Amino acid sequence: MRKIFPAEELARDARFIRQTNEQRLSDPRGARVGGGNTSEQLAKLTPELANGPDRARALMHGIFVGEIQALEGAGRTCWDFEVGEDVPFELKLDMARQCWDEARHCEISVSLADHMGTELGEFAENGLLYEAACNPDPVLRLTGVNRALEGLAIDVFNTMKEFGNLAGDPVLEFCEDWMLADEVTHVKMGSDWLRRLTENDKERLDKALEFQKVVDRLFSFNGFRGEDDDSPIQLTRRFRELAGFSDDEIDEIADMSREARAEAPS
Amino acid sequence: MTDTKRPREPFAPWDRRSLPGLFDVEETAERIGNYKWVEMKLFEALGGWVATVPELDVKLRLGTHCYHHAWHAELFDKRLPELREMKTERLTVPANDQLVAFFEAMTEPEEASMTIEKLVGVYRVLIPYKIAAYTYHRNATSEITDMPTVRILDFVLQDEFNDWREGEMLIQSMIETEAEVERAMNHQLKLEKLMLAAGGIAGPGSIGDPYVEIPEEN
Repeated sequence: MRKIFPAEELARDARFIRQTNEQRLSDPRGARVGGGNTSEQLAKLTPELANGPDRARALMHGIFVGEIQALEGAGRTCWDFEVGEDVPFELKLDMARQCWDEARHCEISVSLADHMGTELGEFAENGLLYEAACNPDPVLRLTGVNRALEGLAIDVFNTMKEFGNLAGDPVLEFCEDWMLADEVTHVKMGSDWLRRLTENDKERLDKALEFQKVVDRLFSFNGFRGEDDDSPIQLTRRFRELAGFSDDEIDEIADMSREARAEAPS
Repeated sequence: MTDTKRPREPFAPWDRRSLPGLFDVEETAERIGNYKWVEMKLFEALGGWVATVPELDVKLRLGTHCYHHAWHAELFDKRLPELREMKTERLTVPANDQLVAFFEAMTEPEEASMTIEKLVGVYRVLIPYKIAAYTYHRNATSEITDMPTVRILDFVLQDEFNDWREGEMLIQSMIETEAEVERAMNHQLKLEKLMLAAGGIAGPGSIGDPYVEIPEEN
């Protein structure tokens, strides 16, 4: 088995449909779920929205395929790097632990998707998350995945937990809260390893934080995730602080999202 | 009232543990180092394979089992300094070159169509050999002087048995034709030969030697 496994070769059964972001935007299912115009798309995800339940179903499917890619990414970090030469033994133990957590998240999210009336493959998958997990530098990989993407997962799970609460769905609320606890742990892993591995290497630290920004920007499209009341996915300060983010770092993500929103086509 | 001055034996009548064991501190440390190396190679491979396997249930089981073996590696790593090996990486080595060859062959399959081979290598060859070596060690070491190792091996064996059962059931569920039976058997045969050359996961003597030495007649 080779080191660094390309995103386009990720193994899937016939039900999964892979699309690029561009293809996804022109997919009529996206418009149905997202709303016809920017103001409809940029509304806080609640059960009261006309397309709220459909959007929640689509988001849950997205969580499921995201969890698969997160599992694959953590697994590859176990395989792609050598202990001693590239990474400490303990980092690999953390990644193996993350594999187990992500495997459970796949089980939870596919069950929740079914609970919400969604079929596997009903919505498309893109490989963006796993692509961040292909970075050949383990520090950049961990920063991109564990701080940027798992950080986004904190925001998504908290939003879905609130959605479950508002919808009177205790199963959804209960499961999202458990996954949220795991995600805070994963983000903290990323924060801790970033600090430890770049303690005496400012240049590598800067590169890693820059890579995190690139990934964060990629997932802030159209201001999808932000602090404004009508942001579909709410930026979650409290849990990000628990996971090792400073106030300045959270402010920066919020600003990035506002900029993305301002640049979004009306 | 309890008579607090009434003497009792240090070992209760049902506690038949005894002091002697087959392994001294150095030999125990070497074996534990070999075990840690095997667990590391296994969890790395399982993690790597997750992305290459299209079957959803297999993908999720590999991710789960990946952590089990990482935890075993961690337990063995923590035991080494207690056995006077402070630089744990010094003993984190394969038992011999033949075992390295075994792992190279076991981790070779990558294509999405080769899930049977991936599972056979782990669940029909490697894990049964691990269960055998760990059981021998657990039963042959002193249950008093080396109880910390026994406790670790008990936890590890519990995982191994559960994972072996799950893996074997996945294999059985994937083999649907005679050609697939042959694929599984051929891969197992190839890997069994390599493991034979290695002598088990801790090298020759992994499960002791049951034969009796008979002095040659003049």
